[in-house]
Amino acid sequence: MGAFRFTRKQLCIPYAVFLICFVAAPLLVIIYYAFTNGEGQFSLMNLAGFFTSPYTIGTLAYSFGIAAVTTCVCLLLAYPIAYILARSQWRQKPVIVVMFVMPMWINFTLRITALKEILTVIEGNLAYHPFLNTIIGMTYDFLPFMILPMYTTLLKLDKSLLEAAADLGANPVQVFCKVTLPLSVPGMISGVVMVFLPSMTNYVVLDMLYNSTYIMGSLIGSYFSAYDWHNGSMIALVLLVIILIFTLFTNRYTDEDTGNRGGALL
Amino acid sequence: MENRKCRRLPVFCLAVCLGAASLGGFLPAGRGLGHVMAKEEVITLRVCNWEEYIDLGDWDEEERIELDNGVEILGREALYEEFEDWYYETYGKRVQVEYSCFGTNEDLYNQLTLGDTYDLVCPSDYMIMKLMAEGQLEPYSEDFFDQDNPENYYQRCVSPYIAEVFAENEINGESWERYAACYMWGVTGVLYNPELMTEEEASTWAVFDNPAFYRQITLKDNVRDTYFATLGYLRQEQLTDAAFLEAPDYRQRLADMMNDVSPETIEEVEQLLGGIMGNIYALETDSGKADMVTGKIIANYQWSGDAVYAMDLAEEEGVYLQFAVPRECTNLWFDGWVMLKNGIGDDEEKKQAAQAFVNFLSKPENAVRNMYYIGYTSAIAGGEDDTVFSYLNWCYGAEDEEDSIAYPVGYFFSGDNADEDYIVRTTQEQVGRQLYTQYPSEEVISRAAVMGYFNEEETRNINQMWINIRCLDVREIPLWCLLLTLLLAAGILAAVFLHKKNHYLG
Repeated sequence: MGAFRFTRKQLCIPYAVFLICFVAAPLLVIIYYAFTNGEGQFSLMNLAGFFTSPYTIGTLAYSFGIAAVTTCVCLLLAYPIAYILARSQWRQKPVIVVMFVMPMWINFTLRITALKEILTVIEGNLAYHPFLNTIIGMTYDFLPFMILPMYTTLLKLDKSLLEAAADLGANPVQVFCKVTLPLSVPGMISGVVMVFLPSMTNYVVLDMLYNSTYIMGSLIGSYFSAYDWHNGSMIALVLLVIILIFTLFTNRYTDEDTGNRGGALL
Repeated sequence: MENRKCRRLPVFCLAVCLGAASLGGFLPAGRGLGHVMAKEEVITLRVCNWEEYIDLGDWDEEERIELDNGVEILGREALYEEFEDWYYETYGKRVQVEYSCFGTNEDLYNQLTLGDTYDLVCPSDYMIMKLMAEGQLEPYSEDFFDQDNPENYYQRCVSPYIAEVFAENEINGESWERYAACYMWGVTGVLYNPELMTEEEASTWAVFDNPAFYRQITLKDNVRDTYFATLGYLRQEQLTDAAFLEAPDYRQRLADMMNDVSPETIEEVEQLLGGIMGNIYALETDSGKADMVTGKIIANYQWSGDAVYAMDLAEEEGVYLQFAVPRECTNLWFDGWVMLKNGIGDDEEKKQAAQAFVNFLSKPENAVRNMYYIGYTSAIAGGEDDTVFSYLNWCYGAEDEEDSIAYPVGYFFSGDNADEDYIVRTTQEQVGRQLYTQYPSEEVISRAAVMGYFNEEETRNINQMWINIRCLDVREIPLWCLLLTLLLAAGILAAVFLHKKNHYLG
């Protein structure tokens, strides 16, 4: 029995315990449930069920649709703002940035509750445009996540590159298209990741704005509350795989891109 | 060496602090070790109830209720805290109530399956039946049913109507009353704004499909309630047919019809509900009450208890709402106290404490406190004690006014609706409002059916029906939408790759 020696590595233990208890263990449980049936035997029925039911595929398509439209709207709204903010010479710039970030300090359910009232005033009846309301709600919720990374990227953009392009005869439109836009792609991609993935499952917005159509998040919840752990877990697992593929793809891309940019700068 | 030790000391202290803090988390909050150890023989009773479903006390002095029969009621502490004192005074034993809450019956059931142990819980009718059928419930003991014991408030005070329903209904050959003590009860119906909808229009399950109220009515966001409403609409003609209504076994046939979950019926309900979904405003669980008050919707499918709450809330804003029970039929529901085998075990003392808790809540003055606080209708009528009926008079009585009408509630209080002692003289405007909602007329009650629990396969079928209703069918998505989404995805991918290519070339 050696004396207890305290090393710096041991400080990781609490986090490791947290990780095992709340990430790894539940994930194993999900995988177990996803590939078993009610009798506890191994089964691929849940997987087959997912891809053969027109309702789950429809829900997947609907979630994709909401996420894609939200992402596009966020991108279109956020890019000009981030661009103007990053390029402006105004001294109070941080104040403006804070104003865009401020909504994130307030709990989003509160914000959506307020939005519900505003939309009711504008539209008269929320139930007429459930899809539009959902997109507005999601955009309202996720816009800061799109603005911030793009703002940071545009801010760090080397001004001398723009000057060089102008010196070599490019007009402002050409400078923007050939230099600024390509160089801001990494920011766009991190923004897209931060908006696209959560908006696929953010069913609270749909619930609160009275869109009764299920998206992936609510579908999983509905299976769980009906004690059907197996199908619910399978849907969660499929969603996880989709997210994983998406993240791998975008990560690899941003890495390569930063590498290239480094090369270009040399 | 010395130095290194010193450097580690703060880290070590931090670790110890963290450890102590996490250890502290496991101890019951707010109770020091000494406090628990000092008391000997404390019975711990773990109670799990719906959220906001018990009087938490702390009333203002001006809220004091002074009843005709001389009883004064004022909630000082939460009822479960007062129970601890009452139990010590009555039985000379210490009991400590660990009170917690659940959100839905399904949540409670999931908690129980995942290993949470409670001694006494308060689920709804069908969940009681499910737990009973699974053999998870501990029956009430013989002495709980002894009406001569003055402390047995539940048996002495429960409404004869409720007692009859609990005695009549059986699971596995045993009647509910052996296992469950009714806490609150009510019916379902339509809460509506009388300025924008007539009583005639509201008094039918067809109201949800009425194009005159396009996108202005809500249904409930749970499959059981919405299934019941749609089924009532589907079977409208049979349910209102004179031959059906006058059949000698009407009640049994009504119950059978409203519990029909054969695949064909589910299919028909799905078809009909699919259409209704295109006409309603939304599905909601809780927000409908506020939306009625703010005028976003003009009618909403509601449980009677919540309807009372919404009417009270609306009155403060100067909006007057009414409640109508569909003429076809209505869903009679209960929440009841049941003891769990898993928690009680062989502990006789604990079982006695659990039963005493039910009896304590069934004391007429405590029943009134709960009704005042949460707006739901207690199953307690009072027996020989007329506190509950006095409370009705206190709330709704209008004997002095000229146009007062007689509203009989004898079916609930004494089992005989013609009973002269149980007639509330109230104003004309109370018809269709709180009194009517809290204590529906005998005529309404005669059309009430309990919705039972369904077996595993049936449950799966109606849940699948619900998912089909809520999900977008990929076959129904217009082609252009799919193409557009594909195009969008392809566009993004193409942009990314083009950009990459340009970069490499550059």
